[in-house]
Amino acid sequence: MKSKQYSVKVFETTITDEKQFIEFFDTNYALFKDHLILIKGTLSSDIGAYLKKKPLNFLHNQMIPVGRSRKALESELNIQKIESDVNQQIAQEEIKKLSTRLQNNLTVLDTIIRSGRELNIEGDLLLLNRVNSGATIHTTGNLIITQVVEGALRCDGNFMMITASPKANIIFHGVEVDNNLLADKLNRVELKKNEILITPVIKKEINWAL
Amino acid sequence: MGIVIAVISGKGGVGKTTATANLGLGIAMNDKNCIVVDFDIGQRNLDMILGLENRVVYDLVQVMDGDAKLKQAIIKSKVNENLHFLAASQSKDKSVLESKKVEKLVAELRESYDYVILDSPAGIESGFEHTIEFADAAIVVVNPEVSSIRDADRAIGILDSKSQKVKNGEEVAKYLIINRISAEMVQSGEMLKSEDILNILNIKLVGKVPEDKGVVDASNQGKPVILDKKSEAGQAYTRIAGRLCGQKVDMKDIEISNVGLFKKITGMFR
Repeated sequence: MKSKQYSVKVFETTITDEKQFIEFFDTNYALFKDHLILIKGTLSSDIGAYLKKKPLNFLHNQMIPVGRSRKALESELNIQKIESDVNQQIAQEEIKKLSTRLQNNLTVLDTIIRSGRELNIEGDLLLLNRVNSGATIHTTGNLIITQVVEGALRCDGNFMMITASPKANIIFHGVEVDNNLLADKLNRVELKKNEILITPVIKKEINWAL
Repeated sequence: MGIVIAVISGKGGVGKTTATANLGLGIAMNDKNCIVVDFDIGQRNLDMILGLENRVVYDLVQVMDGDAKLKQAIIKSKVNENLHFLAASQSKDKSVLESKKVEKLVAELRESYDYVILDSPAGIESGFEHTIEFADAAIVVVNPEVSSIRDADRAIGILDSKSQKVKNGEEVAKYLIINRISAEMVQSGEMLKSEDILNILNIKLVGKVPEDKGVVDASNQGKPVILDKKSEAGQAYTRIAGRLCGQKVDMKDIEISNVGLFKKITGMFR
């Protein structure tokens, strides 16, 4: 967008005596031809025709923004800037919150986590192998494990996906998860409104042959 | 250039030393030049199980410190001339081991033998770490019980992080021996199944050894059970030794082998 900025000289007046007005403008035309004439109050058609004929630029009963001192302008600009900064910060925080809920520093591992190993993961973890008894995994983000867990899990993310793991010790946001609730083939554990919700993702296969 | 195999377990008392003695003898019986080295410094047992107790003059620590020559310390087995033995020190403790000295000794042994078998101490302390540090392969001995499996799991984890071969970017071969399997207990569900153990440990199975009362007696007499052709454990060790020597020996399913016909029939109607 292209734009220019002008300061315009405005002559504001109210007409009381039409003759006197015309006389005044006739004599001072040289001065007023560069001015914008702002007329308040009534404006008769004669005067309107006179001003158009002259020609003089004029407005009738219109509000015109009046310039302020530089200091007043600067302080207002400053306030505006601070406000926009604050808004931007809030927006960024919202985006950050959203992104941690979705995905955050995903680590993908396909190694067996053996006894004695302590994994501390900043962010999310996708593990495609077993967690053996005596091993510990701690994630700040979400946790998905596709095989049996016999060790300890500490997850502070938004959700966990865990296979049926009767021997595991699982703590989700500081609360111990009952292994009996993780009976299905794949279970989702999530935090909703400060409550831990466990829902089956893949149901346990029922073996009719038994 | 020979291969260096460490026999490890994590937990004590699962049969590491017995396995070392029997496999050493089994490999020697396959006409390979083999030496078994006791790394359990301060608690040496391998000399007794091999029946070489009274022939130990110099030990491993004296060789490493330069107080004795390697040739002086190595003992030849009475049973098989291909089998050699290097004893651990009984008076010192594990802290005397140093990485550089162990590396030198292992390199020397590797030069002159086809198979170098190191009997690791139990636990995961420095003695264990020195044993596995320069090994090319490891044999993990477990019993079918949870404590043994978890300890073995931990030992494998340390092997995978501290071994020199892993540090060089290679992989240490790991083989599993499941020792003291009782077929009856496995079938009644009291003992862990081999499948479950393999699932947990995720390493290659090299053999299963059944529970056998003859093993204790054989160890006490200093005649490894592999010499007893009738013993089931002895036969199992013979098969494992064959596999380690590169022969194709079929896996024998000892978990169901000794159920009699009568039991099978009664089992049908249960």
